[in-house]
Amino acid sequence: MTAPLLQVTDLRTSFFTSRGEVQAVRGVSFELRPGEILGIVGESGSGKSVTCMSMLGLLKSSGRVVGGKALFEGRDLLALDDRELRELGGNDIGMIFQDPMTSLNPTLTVGEQVIETILRHRNISRAAARQRAIELFELVRIPSAAKRLRSYPHEFSGGMRQRVMIAIALSCDPKLLIADEPTTALDVTIQRQILALLKELQSRLGMAVILITHDLGVIAETADRVLVMYGGMVMEEAPVKALFAWPSHPYTRGLLASIPDLRDDTHHRLTPIPGSPPDMRRPPAGCPFAPRCPHAMAQCLAALPPVYEVEPAHGARCWLHHAEAPRVAGINQQVAA
Amino acid sequence: MTDQPVAPEMWAPAPRTAGAAEEIAAPSLTYWQDVRQRLWRNRPAMLGLTFIVLLVLAAIFGPMVSPHNYYEQDLKLSNVPPAFQTYTVTDGAGETARFFFNSGNLNLYEVTDDGRIAGLIRGKKDLIKKETLFAFGDAEVKLHTPTQTLSLADGTVLAPGGWQWNMSNLFGTDQLGRDVLARQLYGARISLTVAFVATLVNFFIGVFYGGLSGYLGGRADTIMMRIVEVISTIPLTLYVILIMVVFNSGFFSVIIAIGSVYWVDMARIVRGQILTLKQQDYVAAARTMGASTGRILTRHLLPNSIGPILVTLTMLIPSAIFIESFMSFIGLGVTPPEASWGTLTSEAVETLRAYPYQMFFPAAAISLTMFAFNFLGDGLRDALDPRLRT
Amino acid sequence: MTVYVVQRLALMLVTLFAIITLTFFLMHAVPGGPFVSEKMMAPEIQAALDAKYHLDDPIWLQYLNYLKSVAMFDLGPSFKYPGMSVNQIIAEGLPTTMQVGLLALICVVSLGVPLGIIAALNRNRWPDTLVMVIATFGVAVPSYVIATVALYIFALRLGWVPTFGIDDWRGYFLPVFALSGFWISFIARLARSSLLETLQQDYMITAKAKGLKPGQILFKHGLRNSLIPVVTVLGPVVANLLTGSFVIEQIFALPGIGRHFVLSITNRDYTTIMGITIFYAAILMLMIFIVDMIYLVLDPRIKYREAR
Repeated sequence: MTAPLLQVTDLRTSFFTSRGEVQAVRGVSFELRPGEILGIVGESGSGKSVTCMSMLGLLKSSGRVVGGKALFEGRDLLALDDRELRELGGNDIGMIFQDPMTSLNPTLTVGEQVIETILRHRNISRAAARQRAIELFELVRIPSAAKRLRSYPHEFSGGMRQRVMIAIALSCDPKLLIADEPTTALDVTIQRQILALLKELQSRLGMAVILITHDLGVIAETADRVLVMYGGMVMEEAPVKALFAWPSHPYTRGLLASIPDLRDDTHHRLTPIPGSPPDMRRPPAGCPFAPRCPHAMAQCLAALPPVYEVEPAHGARCWLHHAEAPRVAGINQQVAA
Repeated sequence: MTDQPVAPEMWAPAPRTAGAAEEIAAPSLTYWQDVRQRLWRNRPAMLGLTFIVLLVLAAIFGPMVSPHNYYEQDLKLSNVPPAFQTYTVTDGAGETARFFFNSGNLNLYEVTDDGRIAGLIRGKKDLIKKETLFAFGDAEVKLHTPTQTLSLADGTVLAPGGWQWNMSNLFGTDQLGRDVLARQLYGARISLTVAFVATLVNFFIGVFYGGLSGYLGGRADTIMMRIVEVISTIPLTLYVILIMVVFNSGFFSVIIAIGSVYWVDMARIVRGQILTLKQQDYVAAARTMGASTGRILTRHLLPNSIGPILVTLTMLIPSAIFIESFMSFIGLGVTPPEASWGTLTSEAVETLRAYPYQMFFPAAAISLTMFAFNFLGDGLRDALDPRLRT
Repeated sequence: MTVYVVQRLALMLVTLFAIITLTFFLMHAVPGGPFVSEKMMAPEIQAALDAKYHLDDPIWLQYLNYLKSVAMFDLGPSFKYPGMSVNQIIAEGLPTTMQVGLLALICVVSLGVPLGIIAALNRNRWPDTLVMVIATFGVAVPSYVIATVALYIFALRLGWVPTFGIDDWRGYFLPVFALSGFWISFIARLARSSLLETLQQDYMITAKAKGLKPGQILFKHGLRNSLIPVVTVLGPVVANLLTGSFVIEQIFALPGIGRHFVLSITNRDYTTIMGITIFYAAILMLMIFIVDMIYLVLDPRIKYREAR
């Protein structure tokens, strides 16, 4: 097996607000191999964005990484100073954000915003950087690329802006691309195009991708491996096929039950997950999902479950996988076909 | 993997309280509770609010309590400072007199033991020797004018005693011998009344104009907003001045002038709120469910727009005070003997060289009031701005 | 772009027209009627006014005449000073007012903006607190209080600067300080909050994620955007520097337009009041127009929004 490109161990991040410490990320660990697409899924507030922002030092001023390691090619990102992080950001690690409306500077031309990134990391002339920007625009399929360089963000549609963001992220051939909800703010048809583009560029350029989303459909189409996050923790980790075939955490099952499946014509009702996420200022002692879990046991409220390996490369943080736990159909017991 | 041991009873289903899952773990506050809490915790804002309340109380009740009134003149007791150093002289009969020397007008004033001013002591001026002689029984005090030294007949220079606060006129008197404290309180009354009334007038004009514009929409709205745009580029202070010239100085002119000019911001805000509300789904929803216009206005419009309106109002009051004092300062405010903080300041400027301290009270009053309203306004804005929530 | 410029120009002319009209009819509404010809006044003024406005004509004709002469940059004769025209009075005071006003404007921009930036970048640390305390002070204390207190301390007590006039270069200090104090504070507060808001924008995170240097992020991405609101208020700032000069020129006995204006108010010199009001309005419109053009350069969204 190849050495991991990124190895995150026990990452912990908190926001220190006037109302106390909000523990947004509570011990997240995962690995990412070169060229792999890792999906991170969870509802808003589950800590998936904060996990990535922590690694690049992009947290808002009240946020602080309180523990853990994030080894990128052997260097701990969390231990780098600002200057070293700046060398990596935009260069080895590219990033795309949720809202292309607001993540581009409205008063600079899109060309300038691409070119400045290239000039920052590559020692080339402005003309060469401009040439490179045109190539990038062509790569992300922005029509009449040379002309569009001089346009301002407000002259673009949402999908085109996200293409610009992708061009910026790819401008220095990153080894890792972090896409934080890249399609959430876009129209459904545009979402498809952007996802297809991302996937195609990934296989063409061979970079690793972390795709953050709350949309399991996006994951199913794009990712190789999935982390399911809840309450600042990884609840389940699995290859994408395994996750959909045998979801081993009640939360994952809840997520799957709450999305419509058009291929399914049995017309059974969508099941929402009752309740709302925990207050991360006072995280529960036990499993964070327990208050909403249909199978919650006394043990779940009392102690945080460890990660159980349900099959190779497939882990779930749930007491039901304890050897003595009662059997629940579909989770720790094979459903009769 | 070896499982950690778990007691068998722990596998029982978790005890569940009804609706526990729906409960949001964080203690949730309603919007207004939250606003109140934020405002409450903002110390400068609370300080400002306290000051304003005290000031309003003082303006209402102060003049009633004060033994002086704002117009009564006593030229013998003009320009008396709020505090002075007293001298004592004992005459041959053993009578002790206490007095202080006002270096601004070279007068001596007799002072009672409890710090009240008993009256002016008349002296005999000797213009050639540049001296003034004051008689205390058979003792005599000589004031040498150029050096401003007081000495007894035998030539011993009188040394001042301790400082004494002026108990007759706590803030001293002005150049016409009027009590500064009484005028100050009365001035507060005028300045605050002008500010509050003018702000209210602006508020109503703004709400009416903005509300109408937003409600009518379409072309009427466009034209009305063009007019607002034109008005907002006009230098309004000039218009307050022109209106004052037309109506002549006076209390009501000031209110009319300030009240009729500064409603543009309010109109914009109210219109904006109405427009947003018209488009808001929940208003449509309320309408579909049969809510009356009145109910929509009170239940949906008010809670949503009161924030920005409140902030604008809090900021308008100090600018009204400011403009009133500005007008008074250039001679267009209330007419004497009426007093406002502006006229008090401009009167004090006239005597700045001889009695610089007279500037202190009106300047302090207006500055502190400005501080108070600014702090309160800032605090309100911060408390109402949901973006600042964490 | 041209559409925008033409639009702004048109709005400017309409506003100016509205101001002239409003001023004219306000002044003609003064009870007792200064423009009624039977009023007692010096015969040569009567003659000049008659020649200029034909005071016996119906008011609309007088209005048209006035409009015409204003359009030709002639503000008419003074109502109180025989042989003086309002143009002459303005020309006399203009250099002083301009010098003090421009210096004050320079102070406002060159002190207010950097102070605001320093405060925002040090949010909730001592430089921020210091700037905000000073700025709150500057916003709360009226300019005439600043002026008189400064006059007392620096001129009367310490004797560092003259008490009146600007014949000596040191004479500029106090008037400029008193005039600009409020607006330095105001701009500092505005620049601070604007920059703080900009710093929270998503594109600032993008800039950071791209690995740009802090200086690049601040100057290229932060400042430009956060200065837009500051530029927007420069128009009103100029207006207020002009009206502020009424008091400041009074206190420091500067022979500027503001002093003439206050004098003309006490003298009820109606044509001068009208003339100076219109002159001020015209200067202000010009400033607002210039500001709009700066705005156009700073914010590319304008061209788009207005041209549609």
